[in-house]
Amino acid sequence: MRHSFLDQYSDRDSLIHRLDPRTKLVSTFLFITAVALTPPDGWVSYALYSAILAIWLMLSRVPLGYVLKRSLVVLPFVVLIAIFIPFFREGEIAGSYNLWLWQVSVTHSGIIILRNILIRAWLSVLSLILLTSTTKLPDLLRGLEQLHMPRVMVMVLSFMYRYIFVLVDEVMRMKQARDSRNFGGRRWWQIRTVGNMIGTLFIRAYERGERVYAAMMARGFDGQSRTLKRLEFKPADAYFGLSLGTLVIWGNLINLI
Amino acid sequence: MHIPDGFLNMATVASTYTISVGGVANAVRIANKKLGEKQVPMMGVLAAFIFAAQMLNFPVAGGTSGHLIGAALAAILLGPWAAVIIMSAVLIAQSLIFQDGGLLALGANIFNMAIIASFSAYYIYRLAQSLLGDSGKGQLIGVFAASWGSVLLASIACAVELAISGASPWGVVLPAMAGVHALIGIGEGLITSAVVSLVLATRADLMRLQKI
Repeated sequence: MRHSFLDQYSDRDSLIHRLDPRTKLVSTFLFITAVALTPPDGWVSYALYSAILAIWLMLSRVPLGYVLKRSLVVLPFVVLIAIFIPFFREGEIAGSYNLWLWQVSVTHSGIIILRNILIRAWLSVLSLILLTSTTKLPDLLRGLEQLHMPRVMVMVLSFMYRYIFVLVDEVMRMKQARDSRNFGGRRWWQIRTVGNMIGTLFIRAYERGERVYAAMMARGFDGQSRTLKRLEFKPADAYFGLSLGTLVIWGNLINLI
Repeated sequence: MHIPDGFLNMATVASTYTISVGGVANAVRIANKKLGEKQVPMMGVLAAFIFAAQMLNFPVAGGTSGHLIGAALAAILLGPWAAVIIMSAVLIAQSLIFQDGGLLALGANIFNMAIIASFSAYYIYRLAQSLLGDSGKGQLIGVFAASWGSVLLASIACAVELAISGASPWGVVLPAMAGVHALIGIGEGLITSAVVSLVLATRADLMRLQKI
Protein backbone atom coordinates (compact mmCIF):
# COMPACT_ATOMS: atom_id res chain seq x y z
CA MET A 1 0.00 0.00 0.00
CA ARG A 2 1.23 3.55 0.61
CA HIS A 3 4.49 3.99 2.49
CA SER A 4 5.71 7.16 0.83
CA PHE A 5 5.88 8.89 4.23
CA LEU A 6 8.90 6.81 5.30
CA ASP A 7 12.33 8.24 4.47
CA GLN A 8 11.14 10.20 1.46
CA TYR A 9 13.80 11.51 -1.00
CA SER A 10 16.48 9.33 0.61
CA ASP A 11 16.78 7.24 -2.58
CA ARG A 12 17.79 10.19 -4.76
CA ASP A 13 21.30 10.92 -5.88
CA SER A 14 23.40 13.97 -5.00
CA LEU A 15 26.72 14.91 -3.52
CA ILE A 16 25.24 14.65 -0.01
CA HIS A 17 23.40 11.39 -0.69
CA ARG A 18 26.70 9.77 -1.73
CA LEU A 19 28.49 10.75 1.49
CA ASP A 20 29.22 8.08 4.10
CA PRO A 21 26.36 7.86 6.64
CA ARG A 22 28.90 8.23 9.46
CA THR A 23 30.03 11.59 8.08
CA LYS A 24 26.45 12.82 7.95
CA LEU A 25 25.57 11.49 11.41
CA VAL A 26 28.59 13.07 13.09
CA SER A 27 28.11 16.33 11.17
CA THR A 28 24.46 16.57 12.17
CA PHE A 29 25.27 15.81 15.79
CA LEU A 30 28.04 18.42 15.79
CA PHE A 31 25.77 20.97 14.16
CA ILE A 32 22.91 20.48 16.65
CA THR A 33 25.34 20.58 19.60
CA ALA A 34 26.84 23.84 18.32
CA VAL A 35 23.37 25.32 17.91
CA ALA A 36 22.47 24.29 21.47
CA LEU A 37 25.65 25.92 22.86
CA THR A 38 25.16 29.28 21.15
CA PRO A 39 24.37 32.15 23.55
CA PRO A 40 21.06 34.00 23.07
CA ASP A 41 22.63 37.06 21.42
CA GLY A 42 24.83 35.12 19.00
CA TRP A 43 23.37 36.59 15.85
CA VAL A 44 26.53 36.08 13.78
CA SER A 45 26.57 32.39 14.73
CA TYR A 46 22.92 31.93 13.87
CA ALA A 47 23.43 33.62 10.50
CA LEU A 48 26.40 31.36 9.82
CA TYR A 49 24.43 28.24 10.78
CA SER A 50 21.60 29.25 8.48
CA ALA A 51 24.09 29.75 5.63
CA ILE A 52 25.57 26.29 6.30
CA LEU A 53 22.08 24.78 6.19
CA ALA A 54 21.29 26.60 2.93
CA ILE A 55 24.42 25.24 1.24
CA TRP A 56 23.74 21.78 2.69
CA LEU A 57 20.21 21.90 1.29
CA MET A 58 21.37 23.08 -2.15
CA LEU A 59 23.98 20.34 -2.40
CA SER A 60 21.46 17.67 -1.39
CA ARG A 61 18.81 18.79 -3.94
CA VAL A 62 15.92 18.08 -1.58
CA PRO A 63 12.98 20.43 -2.34
CA LEU A 64 12.92 23.44 0.01
CA GLY A 65 9.13 23.30 0.36
CA TYR A 66 9.26 19.72 1.59
CA VAL A 67 11.91 20.52 4.22
CA LEU A 68 10.04 23.58 5.47
CA LYS A 69 6.75 21.69 5.68
CA ARG A 70 8.40 18.85 7.61
CA SER A 71 9.97 21.33 10.05
CA LEU A 72 6.48 22.29 11.27
CA VAL A 73 6.65 19.11 13.38
CA VAL A 74 8.14 21.16 16.25
CA LEU A 75 5.12 23.49 16.33
CA PRO A 76 2.84 21.62 18.78
CA PHE A 77 5.57 21.55 21.39
CA VAL A 78 6.35 25.24 20.90
CA VAL A 79 2.68 26.15 21.22
CA LEU A 80 2.19 24.01 24.31
CA ILE A 81 5.37 24.93 26.20
CA ALA A 82 7.41 27.85 24.95
CA ILE A 83 4.68 30.32 24.15
CA PHE A 84 4.08 31.03 27.85
CA ILE A 85 7.65 32.04 28.66
CA PRO A 86 7.37 35.79 27.89
CA PHE A 87 4.33 36.10 30.16
CA PHE A 88 5.79 34.42 33.20
CA ARG A 89 9.44 35.39 33.09
CA GLU A 90 10.34 38.06 35.61
CA GLY A 91 12.26 41.10 34.49
CA GLU A 92 11.95 44.41 32.70
CA ILE A 93 8.48 44.76 31.28
CA ALA A 94 8.28 45.21 27.53
CA GLY A 95 4.58 45.82 27.32
CA SER A 96 1.37 45.00 29.09
CA TYR A 97 -2.06 44.43 27.69
CA ASN A 98 -5.54 44.11 29.02
CA LEU A 99 -7.10 40.92 27.80
CA TRP A 100 -10.70 40.90 28.97
CA LEU A 101 -10.26 40.27 32.72
CA TRP A 102 -6.55 39.70 32.80
CA GLN A 103 -3.70 42.13 32.95
CA VAL A 104 -1.00 40.47 30.87
CA SER A 105 2.57 41.71 30.76
CA VAL A 106 5.42 40.59 28.59
CA THR A 107 9.06 40.84 29.71
CA HIS A 108 12.16 41.47 27.62
CA SER A 109 14.13 38.54 28.99
CA GLY A 110 11.17 36.26 28.35
CA ILE A 111 10.97 37.31 24.71
CA ILE A 112 14.72 36.72 24.29
CA ILE A 113 14.44 33.20 25.73
CA LEU A 114 11.45 32.37 23.54
CA ARG A 115 13.17 33.71 20.42
CA ASN A 116 16.29 31.73 21.24
CA ILE A 117 14.38 28.48 21.76
CA LEU A 118 12.48 28.95 18.51
CA ILE A 119 15.66 29.55 16.48
CA ARG A 120 17.48 26.62 18.09
CA ALA A 121 14.59 24.20 17.68
CA TRP A 122 14.06 25.20 14.07
CA LEU A 123 17.74 25.04 13.00
CA SER A 124 18.13 21.65 14.72
CA VAL A 125 15.04 20.11 13.18
CA LEU A 126 16.05 21.37 9.71
CA SER A 127 19.43 19.65 9.94
CA LEU A 128 17.79 16.45 11.20
CA ILE A 129 15.39 16.52 8.23
CA LEU A 130 18.35 16.97 5.88
CA LEU A 131 20.05 13.97 7.48
CA THR A 132 17.09 11.63 7.04
CA SER A 133 16.03 12.81 3.60
CA THR A 134 19.54 12.16 2.25
CA THR A 135 20.26 8.82 3.95
CA LYS A 136 18.32 5.56 3.74
CA LEU A 137 17.50 4.17 7.16
CA PRO A 138 19.41 0.87 6.64
CA ASP A 139 22.52 2.92 5.77
CA LEU A 140 21.96 5.15 8.77
CA LEU A 141 21.75 2.07 11.00
CA ARG A 142 24.95 0.66 9.53
CA GLY A 143 26.59 4.01 10.27
CA LEU A 144 25.32 3.91 13.84
CA GLU A 145 26.73 0.42 14.26
CA GLN A 146 30.15 1.58 13.03
CA LEU A 147 29.92 4.41 15.53
CA HIS A 148 29.57 1.78 18.28
CA MET A 149 25.89 1.76 18.99
CA PRO A 150 25.26 -1.66 20.67
CA ARG A 151 24.98 -4.33 17.97
CA VAL A 152 21.83 -5.89 19.39
CA MET A 153 20.04 -2.54 19.37
CA VAL A 154 21.05 -1.96 15.73
CA MET A 155 19.73 -5.41 14.80
CA VAL A 156 16.46 -4.81 16.65
CA LEU A 157 16.13 -1.52 14.80
CA SER A 158 16.74 -3.10 11.40
CA PHE A 159 14.19 -5.83 12.10
CA MET A 160 11.78 -3.14 13.16
CA TYR A 161 12.38 -1.25 9.93
CA ARG A 162 11.83 -4.45 7.95
CA TYR A 163 8.49 -5.22 9.65
CA ILE A 164 7.11 -1.68 9.91
CA PHE A 165 6.00 -2.00 6.29
CA VAL A 166 4.34 -5.37 6.86
CA LEU A 167 2.50 -4.26 10.01
CA VAL A 168 1.51 -0.86 8.62
CA ASP A 169 -0.04 -2.76 5.70
CA GLU A 170 -1.86 -4.91 8.23
CA VAL A 171 -3.17 -1.78 10.00
CA MET A 172 -4.31 -0.25 6.71
CA ARG A 173 -6.19 -3.41 5.75
CA MET A 174 -7.89 -3.45 9.17
CA LYS A 175 -8.79 0.23 8.84
CA GLN A 176 -10.27 -0.37 5.41
CA ALA A 177 -12.32 -3.27 6.73
CA ARG A 178 -13.48 -1.19 9.70
CA ASP A 179 -14.42 1.86 7.64
CA SER A 180 -16.35 -0.21 5.09
CA ARG A 181 -18.47 -1.51 7.98
CA ASN A 182 -19.72 1.97 8.80
CA PHE A 183 -17.44 2.79 11.73
CA GLY A 184 -18.63 5.59 13.98
CA GLY A 185 -21.15 6.05 16.72
CA ARG A 186 -20.48 6.61 20.36
CA ARG A 187 -17.00 7.33 21.65
CA TRP A 188 -16.91 4.30 23.95
CA TRP A 189 -17.84 2.02 21.07
CA GLN A 190 -15.07 3.51 18.90
CA ILE A 191 -12.48 3.11 21.65
CA ARG A 192 -13.43 -0.55 22.08
CA THR A 193 -13.12 -1.13 18.34
CA VAL A 194 -9.67 0.46 18.21
CA GLY A 195 -8.66 -1.57 21.28
CA ASN A 196 -9.77 -4.78 19.60
CA MET A 197 -7.85 -3.87 16.46
CA ILE A 198 -4.65 -3.23 18.42
CA GLY A 199 -5.15 -6.46 20.37
CA THR A 200 -5.56 -8.45 17.15
CA LEU A 201 -2.51 -6.69 15.74
CA PHE A 202 -0.51 -7.69 18.83
CA ILE A 203 -1.48 -11.35 18.55
CA ARG A 204 -0.62 -11.40 14.84
CA ALA A 205 2.67 -9.56 15.43
CA TYR A 206 3.67 -11.94 18.24
CA GLU A 207 2.89 -15.00 16.13
CA ARG A 208 4.77 -13.47 13.21
CA GLY A 209 7.77 -12.91 15.49
CA GLU A 210 7.75 -16.61 16.44
CA ARG A 211 7.50 -17.67 12.78
CA VAL A 212 10.32 -15.33 11.78
CA TYR A 213 12.50 -16.69 14.59
CA ALA A 214 11.76 -20.30 13.60
CA ALA A 215 12.58 -19.54 9.96
CA MET A 216 15.83 -17.87 10.99
CA MET A 217 16.81 -20.79 13.21
CA ALA A 218 16.12 -23.17 10.32
CA ARG A 219 18.62 -21.16 8.28
CA GLY A 220 21.33 -21.28 10.93
CA PHE A 221 20.89 -17.93 12.73
CA ASP A 222 23.36 -17.63 15.61
CA GLY A 223 22.66 -14.12 16.88
CA GLN A 224 24.92 -12.33 14.40
CA SER A 225 23.97 -10.53 11.22
CA ARG A 226 26.43 -10.41 8.35
CA THR A 227 26.24 -7.89 5.54
CA LEU A 228 28.16 -7.62 2.31
CA LYS A 229 28.08 -3.89 1.77
CA ARG A 230 31.04 -2.13 3.34
CA LEU A 231 31.01 1.53 4.23
CA GLU A 232 33.58 3.60 2.45
CA PHE A 233 35.16 6.79 3.73
CA LYS A 234 35.90 8.76 0.56
CA PRO A 235 37.79 12.05 0.00
CA ALA A 236 34.43 13.84 -0.36
CA ASP A 237 33.62 12.78 3.21
CA ALA A 238 36.83 14.30 4.49
CA TYR A 239 36.19 17.58 2.64
CA PHE A 240 32.59 17.82 3.81
CA GLY A 241 33.32 16.82 7.40
CA LEU A 242 36.31 19.09 7.76
CA SER A 243 34.70 22.16 6.22
CA LEU A 244 31.49 21.73 8.20
CA GLY A 245 33.39 21.03 11.42
CA THR A 246 35.61 24.10 11.00
CA LEU A 247 32.69 26.37 10.14
CA VAL A 248 30.56 25.17 13.03
CA ILE A 249 33.34 25.45 15.61
CA TRP A 250 34.36 28.83 14.26
CA GLY A 251 30.73 29.94 14.40
CA ASN A 252 30.62 28.97 18.06
CA LEU A 253 33.94 30.56 19.04
CA ILE A 254 33.02 33.84 17.39
CA ASN A 255 30.90 34.66 20.44
CA LEU A 256 33.84 34.38 22.81
CA ILE A 257 35.94 37.01 21.03
CA MET B 1 5.63 14.55 24.77
CA HIS B 2 8.49 14.15 22.27
CA ILE B 3 10.91 16.96 23.21
CA PRO B 4 12.52 18.56 20.12
CA ASP B 5 16.10 19.85 20.09
CA GLY B 6 16.65 23.38 21.37
CA PHE B 7 14.60 23.09 24.56
CA LEU B 8 17.03 21.31 26.87
CA ASN B 9 20.31 22.64 28.23
CA MET B 10 23.54 20.70 27.97
CA ALA B 11 23.57 19.48 31.58
CA THR B 12 20.13 17.90 31.15
CA VAL B 13 21.09 16.44 27.77
CA ALA B 14 24.26 14.86 29.18
CA SER B 15 22.66 13.42 32.31
CA THR B 16 19.60 11.97 30.58
CA TYR B 17 21.79 10.46 27.85
CA THR B 18 23.96 8.81 30.49
CA ILE B 19 20.97 7.29 32.30
CA SER B 20 19.29 6.17 29.08
CA VAL B 21 22.40 4.57 27.58
CA GLY B 22 22.95 2.68 30.83
CA GLY B 23 19.28 1.65 31.02
CA VAL B 24 19.13 0.39 27.45
CA ALA B 25 22.44 -1.46 27.80
CA ASN B 26 21.15 -3.19 30.91
CA ALA B 27 17.85 -4.04 29.19
CA VAL B 28 19.73 -5.62 26.27
CA ARG B 29 21.86 -7.65 28.68
CA ILE B 30 18.86 -8.93 30.64
CA ALA B 31 16.85 -9.77 27.50
CA ASN B 32 19.86 -11.55 26.07
CA LYS B 33 20.17 -13.71 29.18
CA LYS B 34 16.49 -14.65 29.19
CA LEU B 35 15.76 -14.89 25.47
CA GLY B 36 19.12 -15.55 23.82
CA GLU B 37 19.21 -14.99 20.08
CA LYS B 38 15.40 -14.95 20.01
CA GLN B 39 15.35 -11.41 21.37
CA VAL B 40 16.39 -9.78 18.10
CA PRO B 41 13.52 -10.86 15.81
CA MET B 42 10.97 -10.76 18.65
CA MET B 43 11.83 -7.26 19.92
CA GLY B 44 12.12 -5.99 16.34
CA VAL B 45 8.69 -7.24 15.29
CA LEU B 46 7.07 -6.01 18.51
CA ALA B 47 8.67 -2.57 18.12
CA ALA B 48 7.17 -2.46 14.63
CA PHE B 49 3.85 -3.45 16.26
CA ILE B 50 3.93 -0.47 18.65
CA PHE B 51 4.88 1.77 15.74
CA ALA B 52 1.93 0.50 13.66
CA ALA B 53 -0.49 0.62 16.61
CA GLN B 54 0.33 4.31 17.07
CA MET B 55 -1.19 4.93 13.64
CA LEU B 56 -4.68 4.08 14.93
CA ASN B 57 -6.36 7.24 16.18
CA PHE B 58 -9.33 7.41 18.49
CA PRO B 59 -11.54 10.41 19.31
CA VAL B 60 -10.65 12.31 22.51
CA ALA B 61 -12.71 15.46 22.92
CA GLY B 62 -13.82 18.40 20.84
CA GLY B 63 -12.80 16.92 17.50
CA THR B 64 -9.24 16.09 18.53
CA SER B 65 -7.88 12.60 18.42
CA GLY B 66 -5.18 10.76 20.29
CA HIS B 67 -3.19 7.62 19.78
CA LEU B 68 -1.60 4.97 21.96
CA ILE B 69 1.89 5.55 23.38
CA GLY B 70 2.28 1.87 24.13
CA ALA B 71 4.85 1.72 26.94
CA ALA B 72 2.29 0.42 29.43
CA LEU B 73 0.95 -2.18 26.99
CA ALA B 74 4.46 -3.45 26.24
CA ALA B 75 5.44 -3.49 29.93
CA ILE B 76 2.27 -5.37 31.00
CA LEU B 77 2.45 -7.96 28.22
CA LEU B 78 6.22 -8.52 28.07
CA GLY B 79 7.80 -7.03 31.19
CA PRO B 80 9.59 -3.73 31.90
CA TRP B 81 13.04 -4.43 30.41
CA ALA B 82 11.56 -5.74 27.16
CA ALA B 83 9.40 -2.61 27.05
CA VAL B 84 12.52 -0.44 27.49
CA ILE B 85 14.11 -2.04 24.40
CA ILE B 86 10.93 -1.84 22.33
CA MET B 87 10.09 1.77 23.25
CA SER B 88 13.71 2.91 22.74
CA ALA B 89 13.68 1.39 19.25
CA VAL B 90 10.38 3.14 18.51
CA LEU B 91 11.71 6.49 19.81
CA ILE B 92 14.97 6.24 17.84
CA ALA B 93 13.02 5.47 14.67
CA GLN B 94 10.56 8.31 15.33
CA SER B 95 13.40 10.77 15.79
CA LEU B 96 15.30 9.59 12.69
CA ILE B 97 12.31 9.08 10.37
CA PHE B 98 9.76 11.68 11.45
CA GLN B 99 11.91 14.15 13.42
CA ASP B 100 9.41 13.48 16.18
CA GLY B 101 11.76 14.27 19.07
CA GLY B 102 15.25 15.70 18.60
CA LEU B 103 18.62 14.01 18.35
CA LEU B 104 20.16 15.62 21.44
CA ALA B 105 16.83 15.28 23.23
CA LEU B 106 16.71 11.55 22.43
CA GLY B 107 18.28 10.68 25.79
CA ALA B 108 15.58 12.60 27.62
CA ASN B 109 12.80 11.14 25.48
CA ILE B 110 14.03 7.59 26.07
CA PHE B 111 14.32 8.31 29.79
CA ASN B 112 10.71 9.61 29.99
CA MET B 113 8.80 7.42 27.59
CA ALA B 114 10.84 4.21 27.63
CA ILE B 115 12.33 3.93 31.13
CA ILE B 116 9.98 5.89 33.44
CA ALA B 117 6.80 4.91 31.59
CA SER B 118 7.64 1.19 31.35
CA PHE B 119 8.74 0.73 34.94
CA SER B 120 5.96 2.79 36.48
CA ALA B 121 3.36 0.90 34.41
CA TYR B 122 4.81 -2.47 35.36
CA TYR B 123 4.95 -1.80 39.09
CA ILE B 124 1.56 -0.10 39.28
CA TYR B 125 0.11 -3.14 37.49
CA ARG B 126 1.85 -5.56 39.86
CA LEU B 127 0.70 -3.56 42.88
CA ALA B 128 -2.90 -3.49 41.64
CA GLN B 129 -2.79 -7.22 41.00
CA SER B 130 -1.61 -7.98 44.50
CA LEU B 131 -4.34 -5.72 45.95
CA LEU B 132 -7.25 -6.71 43.70
CA GLY B 133 -6.40 -10.29 42.90
CA ASP B 134 -6.11 -12.09 39.59
CA SER B 135 -9.74 -11.82 38.51
CA GLY B 136 -10.57 -10.42 35.08
CA LYS B 137 -12.04 -7.22 36.46
CA GLY B 138 -9.20 -6.63 38.90
CA GLN B 139 -6.71 -7.12 36.11
CA LEU B 140 -8.41 -4.56 33.87
CA ILE B 141 -8.54 -1.97 36.67
CA GLY B 142 -4.83 -2.57 37.21
CA VAL B 143 -4.15 -2.13 33.49
CA PHE B 144 -6.08 1.13 33.42
CA ALA B 145 -4.29 2.52 36.48
CA ALA B 146 -0.91 1.42 35.14
CA SER B 147 -1.41 3.07 31.75
CA TRP B 148 -2.78 6.27 33.23
CA GLY B 149 0.00 6.47 35.80
CA SER B 150 2.73 5.78 33.25
CA VAL B 151 1.58 8.60 30.95
CA LEU B 152 1.26 11.03 33.86
CA LEU B 153 4.66 10.18 35.39
CA ALA B 154 6.40 10.38 32.01
CA SER B 155 4.88 13.81 31.38
CA ILE B 156 5.96 15.00 34.84
CA ALA B 157 9.53 13.85 34.12
CA CYS B 158 9.35 15.74 30.83
CA ALA B 159 8.12 18.88 32.62
CA VAL B 160 10.90 18.65 35.21
CA GLU B 161 13.55 18.42 32.46
CA LEU B 162 12.09 21.43 30.66
CA ALA B 163 11.89 23.49 33.85
CA ILE B 164 15.46 22.63 34.88
CA SER B 165 16.63 23.68 31.41
CA GLY B 166 14.89 27.03 31.83
CA ALA B 167 12.71 26.46 28.79
CA SER B 168 9.57 27.10 30.79
CA PRO B 169 8.82 28.24 34.36
CA TRP B 170 7.99 25.53 36.92
CA GLY B 171 4.63 27.06 37.74
CA VAL B 172 3.50 26.76 34.12
CA VAL B 173 5.04 23.69 32.64
CA LEU B 174 4.31 21.33 35.52
CA PRO B 175 0.54 21.89 35.78
CA ALA B 176 0.22 22.26 31.98
CA MET B 177 1.98 18.99 31.14
CA ALA B 178 0.46 17.05 34.04
CA GLY B 179 -3.03 18.42 33.33
CA VAL B 180 -2.99 17.67 29.62
CA HIS B 181 -1.53 14.22 30.14
CA ALA B 182 -3.93 13.32 32.94
CA LEU B 183 -6.56 13.56 30.18
CA ILE B 184 -4.47 11.82 27.51
CA GLY B 185 -3.77 9.09 30.09
CA ILE B 186 -7.50 8.29 30.30
CA GLY B 187 -7.49 7.51 26.58
CA GLU B 188 -4.32 5.44 26.97
CA GLY B 189 -5.89 3.58 29.90
CA LEU B 190 -9.15 2.81 28.08
CA ILE B 191 -7.39 1.60 24.92
CA THR B 192 -4.83 -0.50 26.81
CA SER B 193 -7.61 -2.12 28.89
CA ALA B 194 -9.56 -2.87 25.71
CA VAL B 195 -6.45 -4.46 24.17
CA VAL B 196 -5.74 -6.56 27.28
CA SER B 197 -9.37 -7.69 27.56
CA LEU B 198 -9.24 -8.89 23.95
CA VAL B 199 -5.97 -10.74 24.55
CA LEU B 200 -7.45 -12.28 27.74
CA ALA B 201 -10.54 -13.43 25.85
CA THR B 202 -8.79 -14.90 22.82
CA ARG B 203 -5.20 -15.80 23.73
CA ALA B 204 -4.98 -15.78 27.52
CA ASP B 205 -1.69 -17.69 27.27
CA LEU B 206 -0.03 -14.54 25.87
CA MET B 207 -0.78 -12.78 29.16
CA ARG B 208 1.35 -15.34 30.98
CA LEU B 209 4.51 -14.94 28.90
CA GLN B 210 7.80 -14.85 30.73
CA LYS B 211 8.21 -11.24 31.89
CA ILE B 212 11.55 -9.70 31.10
